[in-house]
Amino acid sequence: MTRKRSIAAAAAALAASAALAACGGGDDGGDGGSGSETDQVTVGVIPIVDVAPIYLGDEQGFFEDEGIDLTLETGQGGAAIVPGVASGQFQFGFSNVTSLILAESQDLPLTMVAPGNSTTGEVGDDFGAVVAPEGSDIAEPADLAGKRVAVNTLNNIGSTTINKVVRDDGGDPSTIEYVELGFPDMPGALSNGQVDAAWVVEPFLAITEGQGATPVAWNFAATDPELMIAAYFTSEQTAQSDPDLVERFTNAMEESLQYASDNPDEARAILSSYTEIDAETAEQLTLPTWPTEINEDSVQLLADLALEDGLIDSEPDIEAMLP
Amino acid sequence: MIGRIGMRLVEIFALPVVLTALWWVLSADSTNFFFPPLSSIVDVFVPTWFEGRILDDVVPSLLRLAAGYLLALLVGILLGSAIGSSTRLRQFCEPVLEFLRAIPPPVLVPILMLFAGVDNTMKVLVIFSGCIWPILLNTVEGVRGVDPVLRDTARSYRMPWRTTYVHLVLRGASPRIAAGARQALAIGIILMVISEMFAATNGIGFTTIQFQRSFAIPEMWSGIILLGFIGLGLSLLFRFAESRVLRWYEGMRRQEREG
Repeated sequence: MTRKRSIAAAAAALAASAALAACGGGDDGGDGGSGSETDQVTVGVIPIVDVAPIYLGDEQGFFEDEGIDLTLETGQGGAAIVPGVASGQFQFGFSNVTSLILAESQDLPLTMVAPGNSTTGEVGDDFGAVVAPEGSDIAEPADLAGKRVAVNTLNNIGSTTINKVVRDDGGDPSTIEYVELGFPDMPGALSNGQVDAAWVVEPFLAITEGQGATPVAWNFAATDPELMIAAYFTSEQTAQSDPDLVERFTNAMEESLQYASDNPDEARAILSSYTEIDAETAEQLTLPTWPTEINEDSVQLLADLALEDGLIDSEPDIEAMLP
Repeated sequence: MIGRIGMRLVEIFALPVVLTALWWVLSADSTNFFFPPLSSIVDVFVPTWFEGRILDDVVPSLLRLAAGYLLALLVGILLGSAIGSSTRLRQFCEPVLEFLRAIPPPVLVPILMLFAGVDNTMKVLVIFSGCIWPILLNTVEGVRGVDPVLRDTARSYRMPWRTTYVHLVLRGASPRIAAGARQALAIGIILMVISEMFAATNGIGFTTIQFQRSFAIPEMWSGIILLGFIGLGLSLLFRFAESRVLRWYEGMRRQEREG
């Protein structure tokens, strides 16, 4: 019970929803065996293809089986979700690994609890790529040097992986001019010639390809065929005060990831329930892979790239970020 | 004399000093990552902004703001006096103006981006598209409110239209125009930041958001404080300019009150 109470105390200063969640957790405490307790858990996610497993797992009842009553809150991105998790408004969140490394380097303690998604590892068939418009003279990664490239967030996982791929191909990534554009604005900017190339992820990869754009660099797959892009994480405080909840969440999450991997058609079908992706696009897009193990080498690699590109000043404590 | 200046200084600085002191004391032992102690924000303020960022970020932001605002001032006053001078034109335009004014400029950004590109032009247009409305609509009202007897007098004296426009219409409408320009300035600062949330590579708003995303929270707060200072500075500058331009009007008001 003290564990529950400490959560309630931590949440007391927060938004009403978080306070309600903590009360809900406490109410069911007397139901008997530990298996029948239900915790109200809120997870901050981004409404994109990558998080299909958690929606699927919720639908399949994997979280219920672990005594978790799941609420999914959508946020704009890591920058919105991380504060939510750090403040206890969300117990868990979804973010790309580079954002978590940036948080770690600023002494914001976060711990990964489950993998989010990974590259397919196949150059030519991944869920994210740099595309150039029809008729462009950009044909390979090195050609991106000196060009204007749209990314959804500057100085994050998109630019560090593109830089690596360009560097590996013999180009000078420091000459790339990155422009920050939202993914939905990229197809327009690309066809107008406002940018020379754009880094897109699904479903925008399928959409731009439909407009005649060609992928020229597979920045995730070519960086590392097993690159883990994103992860589910929690605050260090939650990890320490309620390891049991974290373990149950991780179990349910792993089950969900496995289920999504085994049933890609169901993963495609559930997209329409939380995104605007229509059925036809959902059919065509390339899904990421959903491994069930956190890939520690990926975290190290992305940290090295962040260091090399000057996003962080010193080697982050990777160990502290891993479960 | 010294006492009066002293009192005036107290009036100006008392509240800011109290609020700052309160913030300083209340946040001193803050361990909340997102609400760092004010002392650590102050520590990063100078290194963050005065080592290169003045030229790289602050100046571009201010130039875009100036361009968008001055353009709005010019177009707003010219268009506004034309519409305000003609009843027919006003009735013709009013519904459209009210419709356009109700559209929040941030939703126009993706559309502006399509035809104005992603560079400075787009950002200046975003600032312009928000600043124009208070200036335009206030100018229309101000011009409409110019005493018709004076207009008739000017006409019967066969004053050239340019003289009539500058000395009668514009001057008569200037208190309303100034009120609109003041509103527009506040809107302009907001839109300066918003325009830098899209496709930007520099600017105060852009940098502050980058700090937020890379979890450099004291630096983020320093950007917010800098924006506050810029707003304060511009408002003082505005008040100074306004007191110059509207000196006749303030004199007239004083006379009316006292007489």
